[in-house]
Amino acid sequence: MKTKPIAAKAGVQQKSVASRFVTAIKKYYVLYLLLAPALLLTLYFSYLPMPGIIVAFMDYDVFDGFASPWVGFENFKQIFTLPMFTKSMAHTLLLSALNLLIVQPAPLVFALLLNEIHANKFKRVLQTVSYLPHFLSWIAVIGMANAIFSTYGTINDIRVALFGEGTERIRFLASQGFFVPNVLILTVWKSIGWASIIYLASITGIDPQLYEAAYVDGANRFKQCIHITIPSVLPTAIMIFIIQIGQIFHDNFDLVYGLQNPYIDFETVSTVVYKEGISAGNYSVATALGLFQGLVSFILVRSVNAFSRKVNDVALW
Amino acid sequence: MNHKSTSYKIFLFANYLFMAAVFIVCIFPYFHTLAKALNDGNDTMRGGITFYPRVFTMQNFQVLLADTSIYRAFFISVLRVVIGTVLGVAVQFAAGYALSHQNLPGRRKLMLFIIIPSFIAGGTIPTYLLYVHSGLINNFWVYILPQLMSYYNVMVIRSYIESSVPSSLNDAAAIDGAHELTIMCRIIFPLCLPVVATVSLWVAVTHWNNWTTTMYYITKESLFTLQYKLMQVVKESERLQALLQAAQASGEDVNVSVKSTPESLVSAQVIITTIPIIIVYPFLQKYFVKGVTLGAVKS
Repeated sequence: MKTKPIAAKAGVQQKSVASRFVTAIKKYYVLYLLLAPALLLTLYFSYLPMPGIIVAFMDYDVFDGFASPWVGFENFKQIFTLPMFTKSMAHTLLLSALNLLIVQPAPLVFALLLNEIHANKFKRVLQTVSYLPHFLSWIAVIGMANAIFSTYGTINDIRVALFGEGTERIRFLASQGFFVPNVLILTVWKSIGWASIIYLASITGIDPQLYEAAYVDGANRFKQCIHITIPSVLPTAIMIFIIQIGQIFHDNFDLVYGLQNPYIDFETVSTVVYKEGISAGNYSVATALGLFQGLVSFILVRSVNAFSRKVNDVALW
Repeated sequence: MNHKSTSYKIFLFANYLFMAAVFIVCIFPYFHTLAKALNDGNDTMRGGITFYPRVFTMQNFQVLLADTSIYRAFFISVLRVVIGTVLGVAVQFAAGYALSHQNLPGRRKLMLFIIIPSFIAGGTIPTYLLYVHSGLINNFWVYILPQLMSYYNVMVIRSYIESSVPSSLNDAAAIDGAHELTIMCRIIFPLCLPVVATVSLWVAVTHWNNWTTTMYYITKESLFTLQYKLMQVVKESERLQALLQAAQASGEDVNVSVKSTPESLVSAQVIITTIPIIIVYPFLQKYFVKGVTLGAVKS
C-alpha cells in the first residue's frame, strides 16, 4: 500500500488541490469518520477556549460577555502588583524548585537502589505496593495523611515514644511551617514508585556485556553503577527534567487545595485562579494570571529543549 | 559480576534495611487508615493505633452509610466511570486506528492538530466560560464530554497498532473485500485487547478519582461524586478536630455528644472511596503497569 505506482502519483499531482481532497475523502471516508469524534471534541473543548484569553484584556462582566470593555494590560498590572498574586507566583516557584531538587531525583535513586536488590520476590512485591498510590486520588492520599499526621496519629505517637509523655502533640496538617514539607512528603510517597518504572525500564535495557567487560577491567559494583548504569539512564532523566522545567510555573492544584485549611495561608497560582476566578467571579484577572502562566511555561519548555539539544543531544522533539 | 567486596556487602545490607523501611512506609498508611476506620472514635483520641483497631466498631461506617446522599454519590461515580470509559475508549480507539494508517492523507497534520492543545491551552477561566455558554454547568455530561478525548491515549493506541499488528493483515482483509469497519472490529480490535485493557483502566481510574470537575462546575448536590464528598470531609476535618480538642480542654463531656470523631469518619470515608481500586489493583496490576512502556513510544 505504501508504494503507489509512480504514474498514478504524478497524475494526482496534476489535479487541483480540491479534486485531490475529494479523491482522498472518497477513498478514506470511513477512516475520516472514525477520526471525526476525536477531532470535533478536540476542536470544541481544546481550541474553542483559546480565543477566550481575550478576557484577560477586558473588564469581563457576565452580562456583557465578550462585549465587555477593553482595559489593555490593566489586569496584568494587577497580577504583578497585588501581593495576593505575586505571593502565589512565588509559592508556585518555590514548590517547583523543591520538586526539581527533591521530588524528581527521588525515583531515580529509588530505581538505582532497587536495581541492587537481588531477592526477586521482595523486589516485585515492593514495586507492586509502591505503584499503588499512583492510582489513588490526591484527596484520598491527603485523607490517609490526615490519620497519620493528626494529633493522635502515628508521627505524634512516635515523637511521644521517643521524647517522653510530656511531649506536645503537633497538628502537622494545621501548622503553617509544615505545609511545604507535607506537600513534598506526600508527592514523593505518591509518585516515587510509578516514576521509577521508566528508569528501571532503561536499566533493564542495558547490555549485560557492558557490565562483564567492566568487571574484567576491574570495576567494582560502585564503579559499574557510576560508569555504566547512571550514564545509561541519564538521557531519560534529562528528558523528564525538560518536561518538569516546562511545568515550573504550574503547581498541583489537587494537593495544594486539598491540604489547605483555616490554619494555613499558602496560595499558589492554581488555587488563586480557582478562588479569584471561579469562586469570586473575577474572571479577567484570573485569566490574565492563567495566560501569563501558560506563556512562561511555553517559552521555558521551548528554550530548555533547544538548550538540551545543543548540549546533550537529548530533546523532546 | 559475582565479585562481592566487603564494602559492597555492607552496602547491600544497608540497602535491604532501607528497602524494608520503604516497604513499611508504602503499606502502613493503608492499614493505619483501615484500623482507624474500624476503631472507636474516642479510643482513637488516646493515640497509639498502629496496624489494627484496638476497640473494634462498625460505628464509623454506620454513621457514614446512614447518610443517604452517599449512595447517590456512589451511583453518580459509577455512572461516570462506566459511561466515560466506554465512550472515551471508543473515541480514542477509533482515532488511534484511523491514524495508524500510514497512507491516510493529511495524517501528520491531523496528529499535529490533536497534539497542539497540550502545549498551548486556553486555561481554566476561558474553559469555564465555554462550559457556562454550553450549558455544561450543573450538568452530568460535564463529567463525560470534555474528557472523552485524550491525545496521549490515542497515540498509545496508534503506536501499539503500528508496532504489534502486521499491516499485511489489513491489506489481506481489504483484498478479500472486507469493509474497513469489519476489519477494525473483527481483526484489529481483538489483537489490541492488551492496549485497550490498559487504556480502559487508565480512563476508568481517572474518572473515579477526579473531584475537581465537581468542584469547578457542579453545585447541585444530586450530582456530587464520592471523591467530592471525601474532599468535603477531609477539608472540614482539621477545623472540626480543633473544635473537638477545644471542647475537651474546656472539660465538656464530648463522649456523649460525639460518637465518631472527624478523624475516624475521614478514615472510614477514605476506605469507602478507595476500596474499589485497592480491590481490583492486585488482579489487574499487569495491565495497569504495562501502559508505561507502551507510552514510551515517541511519536
